Amino acid sequence: MKIGAPKETAQGEARVALTPESAKQLQKLGHECLVEAGAGAAAGFNDDTYRDAGVSVVESAEALWRDADVVIKVREPSETEAHYLREGLTLIAFFWPAQNEALLETCKAQGASVIAMDMVPRISRAQKMDALSSMANIAGYRAVIEAGNNFGRFFTGQVTAAGKVPPAKVLVIGAGVAGLSAIGTAASLGAVVRAFDVRPEVSEQIESMGAEFLFLDFEDSQDGSESGGYASPSSPEFREKQLECFREQAPDVDIVITTALIPGRPAPKLWLEDMVAAMKPGSVIVDLAAEKGGNCDLTKPDERVVSDNGVVVVGYTDFPSRMATQASLLYATNIRHMLADLTPEKDGVIHHNMEDDVIRGATVTHQGEITFPPPPPKVKAIAAAKPKKKEKEPTPEEKKATELAAFKAQTKRQAGLLAVGGALMLLLGQIAPASFMQHFIVFVLACFIGFQVIWKVSHSLHTPLMAVTNAISGIIILGAILQIGSGSGVVIVLAAISVLIASINIVGGFLVTRRMLAMFQKS
Amino acid sequence: MLGQGFVSAAAIAASVLFILSLGGLSNQEKAKRAVWYGIVGMAVAVFFTSLGPGIGGYWWLVPAMLIGAGIGAYVAGKVEMTEMPQLVAALHSFVGLAAVFVAWSADLERRRVLAAQAADGAMQEFSAFAALVATKAPAELTFLQIEVVFAIFIGAVTFTGSVIAFGKLAGKVDGKPRQLPGGHMLNAGAAALSLLLAILYLNGAGFWTLIVLAALSFFIGYHLIMGIGGADMPVVVSMLNSYSGWAAAAIGFTLSNDLLIVTGALVGSSGAILSYIMCKAMNRNFVNVILGGFGGAQGPAAEIEGEQVAIDASGVASALNDADSVIIVPGYGMAVAQAQSAVSDLVRKLRASGKTVRFGIHPVAGRLPGHMNVLLAEAKVPYDIVLEMDEINDDFSSTDVVIVIGSNDIVNPAAEEDPNSPIAGMPVLKVWEAKQVFVSKRGQGTGYSGIENPLFFKENTRMFYGDARDSLNALLPMVE
Repeated sequence: MKIGAPKETAQGEARVALTPESAKQLQKLGHECLVEAGAGAAAGFNDDTYRDAGVSVVESAEALWRDADVVIKVREPSETEAHYLREGLTLIAFFWPAQNEALLETCKAQGASVIAMDMVPRISRAQKMDALSSMANIAGYRAVIEAGNNFGRFFTGQVTAAGKVPPAKVLVIGAGVAGLSAIGTAASLGAVVRAFDVRPEVSEQIESMGAEFLFLDFEDSQDGSESGGYASPSSPEFREKQLECFREQAPDVDIVITTALIPGRPAPKLWLEDMVAAMKPGSVIVDLAAEKGGNCDLTKPDERVVSDNGVVVVGYTDFPSRMATQASLLYATNIRHMLADLTPEKDGVIHHNMEDDVIRGATVTHQGEITFPPPPPKVKAIAAAKPKKKEKEPTPEEKKATELAAFKAQTKRQAGLLAVGGALMLLLGQIAPASFMQHFIVFVLACFIGFQVIWKVSHSLHTPLMAVTNAISGIIILGAILQIGSGSGVVIVLAAISVLIASINIVGGFLVTRRMLAMFQKS
Repeated sequence: MLGQGFVSAAAIAASVLFILSLGGLSNQEKAKRAVWYGIVGMAVAVFFTSLGPGIGGYWWLVPAMLIGAGIGAYVAGKVEMTEMPQLVAALHSFVGLAAVFVAWSADLERRRVLAAQAADGAMQEFSAFAALVATKAPAELTFLQIEVVFAIFIGAVTFTGSVIAFGKLAGKVDGKPRQLPGGHMLNAGAAALSLLLAILYLNGAGFWTLIVLAALSFFIGYHLIMGIGGADMPVVVSMLNSYSGWAAAAIGFTLSNDLLIVTGALVGSSGAILSYIMCKAMNRNFVNVILGGFGGAQGPAAEIEGEQVAIDASGVASALNDADSVIIVPGYGMAVAQAQSAVSDLVRKLRASGKTVRFGIHPVAGRLPGHMNVLLAEAKVPYDIVLEMDEINDDFSSTDVVIVIGSNDIVNPAAEEDPNSPIAGMPVLKVWEAKQVFVSKRGQGTGYSGIENPLFFKENTRMFYGDARDSLNALLPMVE
């Protein structure tokens, strides 16, 4: 099949859907590649490099649309382009079918199959075709770069001979792919990064990227896994709490990057006018949701606005296009993976398998039918998040109560032990002779001292402790000494052996301990 | 000849010195003085007791003492620090055996005195202990018999138990838990029989009862310790230490000697606390350890996925050269390979190039409480960079490189992650939280507990196979 990439017609669009590199891979699948002359110029790929990669360069868009069996694009087709569509042709592009119903009708009428890259379901198998994530990643990175461009200070804190520079404080709202990418970029530039998201389960991801998660203590937090990993609208109470949190942050942060989007809805307004007013002059807001109306009240799509108090609000909508080379490389790879799935036999024949979850999900028109919206995917996108245990900070009263209870329990136990011990002593005293009891007192007291003393012994000295106690237990020699003067031969021999081995024990134990202790030295 | 007053005063002085000696082990600097307290205390006790009233038989006493001291000094000077656990276990056995002998002698003396009293009714000249026995009332003599039984039982168990522990630690006896058919029933039977013999003895049966009693106790000591695996030896050694103390205390009761009672009680309680600390460090029940074997797991242990990825010395060296902070976690494998001085050289080199190097020591690393500390001290590793588990466990997450040398179970994440693991709940060193972990290990075998270690399969773990000392020596020249 012939796969063609026309030059993007939308204004300011610098990306291209085919790169020389992806073309080589496509050829391995048995396809032939076409590109419109000059299509890759804005992204840094000239026609000669395409030719070198074995791509036929076609002079006009019309010719390309006529020759190609599959057209790959970045943006949705323009009106003119829509008319090039014909039966048997497959178009792969960002299509936004929910917003472009008229276009969808046209495509259906023309009989073409359309695969919308923005409709690729979010399942692990389809990650390699997830162009939205690729673009969001770039947008997040670029947002930080744009912010830095408009921000008059360093990101990283420094102490220089010329004075101390505090680190920039960056707040990222919305920790989707773009948000996480922004967090990572800002953190690696040395900024202090905080991040917020309505889905508490992303806190781990946020922290892993090096930002602090602004935790909102609220009862019914969202579980993003229910909605395929995307955020859904929040309740008014939650919203209030959230805004309150932002209001607190506003005077403190230098850079705000908002990325909050809810699929199929206008962007929620999260950074209100009063928050902008509370920010320090020279602060920067980058609104990645500008295309959907913006998260910030002041955002004007595709414009850089400066507020009355000198806060810069960047509302560009073409961040990926501003990094056209990188964006084209990633997008072309996503497209290539999609085509690879469409040509399972690697024989250059497109097999549009509507049974396949990914292809079915992304296809919006097929064989003269509108197939949007797709049925829900068979595989659930993300495993349901495990409910996170929230450790409640005990109030001082509770703490006191538990401490008191512990103390009481301890007292009870100790008193109980003492009572039992006392009773036993009493019993023993009834039957044992007085001389025994005297020794027994000594014994109990010695045990007690032993317990008290040994607890304090440092852990690293446990081996010397054992050696010393071992040497000391050689005190048994005294017993033998007391018996050795006996008149009985057997006793004398037994006692002499005891003296001998106890002496080994005493001398050996002490000397070895000394050897050990002598080795311990401080650095 | 010194009077009884001198002897008593000496006993008080010795007791105080012993307490000071044990208490002084609270830190390394004081410890050097503490051991002198112990030596002086012992010297005072032995000297004044020997010269006390009624002591004779110096022709036996002095040579035995000198020979014993000579052997002790020779052994203590020759022993390798890695052989310390065996030595301690062997020395315990002497105390146990001495206790048995002294208790036997005590009963022989009792019989002699009673026979003499029955024969002529008149007081003949007895030596120290016999003279004491002669003054005792019948009730006191009964108690003396009970004490003799205790002393023999504890002493005999300590003796064979220590001999087996020595054998296991020295590798002369197989380290695996092994029991005769019948298991603990045999022990229980022997104990019941011992009780029966004790009752017979108290009711006037002959001296043979004490010999059979000792034999039965010897068997219990042997069988009990044979059933305990090598990994539990730290607990066993400190438990035997405790027993040797109790045996001394029991002898003290028999001989009505307070110094023996005090010292025995000190040693006994210290060993008991050490055993308790060890058990706590392994999250095990003391009874469970002593009776041998792990408690039954509730279900199959979690399957481990992934593979062990090996690395060579140059890989480890480059990671070390890039690292700022390094923690070394030694285990029994380091002792076996005698790698402590190679470790020390590595540490010196790393510290010289300005890296933070520390040691993380698990309470039950090695075969003796504090075993690793002693080995590292021998290799001249400064003790202030050698930290305990609780001191260092939170620092792993901010550490670049962790080198695990010959330890296994004490760094097993299954203890925390897998509730079905036999070691579940045992506190472990969280080495896997570090950026990179290198495990120096002889092969792919499991640790002493015989369970698989998921640490070796983690993404940030690399296996550095080979004998620990050879591996480290290969590594040394490559570290800058």
